[in-house]
Amino acid sequence: MIISGFGETGQRKLNVAHVVVAGIGGLGSPASSYLAAAGVGHLTIIDSQRVELSNLNRQVLHWGPDVGRLKVESATEKLTAINSNIKVDAIFEQITSENVDQLTKGVDAVVDGMDNYPTRYLLNEACVQNRVPFIHGAVEGLVGQLMTILPGGRPCLKCAIPKEPPKKPLFSVLGATPGVIGCLQAMEAIKLITGMGKPLVGRMLIFNGMDMNFDEIEVNRDPSCQVCSRQNR
Amino acid sequence: MAITVKFFAGFREATGKRQASIEGVNNITSLLDELVRRFGEKLAEQLYSSNTRELRKTVNILVNGRRLDFLQEFNTPLKDGDEVAIFPPVAGG
Ligand SMILES: [Zn+2]
Repeated sequence: MIISGFGETGQRKLNVAHVVVAGIGGLGSPASSYLAAAGVGHLTIIDSQRVELSNLNRQVLHWGPDVGRLKVESATEKLTAINSNIKVDAIFEQITSENVDQLTKGVDAVVDGMDNYPTRYLLNEACVQNRVPFIHGAVEGLVGQLMTILPGGRPCLKCAIPKEPPKKPLFSVLGATPGVIGCLQAMEAIKLITGMGKPLVGRMLIFNGMDMNFDEIEVNRDPSCQVCSRQNR
Repeated sequence: MAITVKFFAGFREATGKRQASIEGVNNITSLLDELVRRFGEKLAEQLYSSNTRELRKTVNILVNGRRLDFLQEFNTPLKDGDEVAIFPPVAGG
């Protein structure tokens, strides 16, 4: 199969690329699977949790027998089985303001597989400052959202969603929803690495599985944004 | 000329519309009042918490793709031709 702008050069670029998948749950499972299958040479996966039974409806890298194991351990095993030619670094840690810089510096892209905004905002800021593309995704029920954040005067996550939505103690997710968004995050990462196509920058994609449609919301940079305008000065 | 309001996810379900054209409003507060008048209780429920009538923190509003000014918030002025997007950001992963 021939994809315009991909080919052997594209494959080589993927082979030397380093992508961080932050969180290896509902979004991180499909995203990392497709990145591994595409031949991204170096994946760093970060997660501080163990597999629970209630994860299995959507976190498709973790299977019944994995309940109780570290998610990064379970995921590393599956990802290297998908593609034995890639290197997978497993980091069993919580992402904090102390380690976020060191975890994201110098990589080709960071994929957002988190389930909360405080950590997303940390990643957003570190990526903007370190000039690393950040591929934001989030889901709930049958709704998902996606936006790619590139450094250099482009809108960041704080420009689109300035305030953290209230924490819900429990929300349910239809497993196929992060399947959709996680795959699209992998696609955005692959496009950025190979230089194909047009990234989802300055617009947020909203997927609504209930009506089965995709929509775009225009997002512009807030010139007073404390994250992306500081970096641009 | 008027203000175009675009609804996403749950707000589209509540209004039954992708977008609406609204005239005669000059800031976010008066726009939301007009939307509730037009679309009724179902939308009001999505916008405001039932006991305090305060705007829910699950509501995100962009005007011409820009977030609301921190100082002006819902007093942010609107003018003809503005495009307002209303959506509920999701948080899970
Ligand atoms: Zn910003």
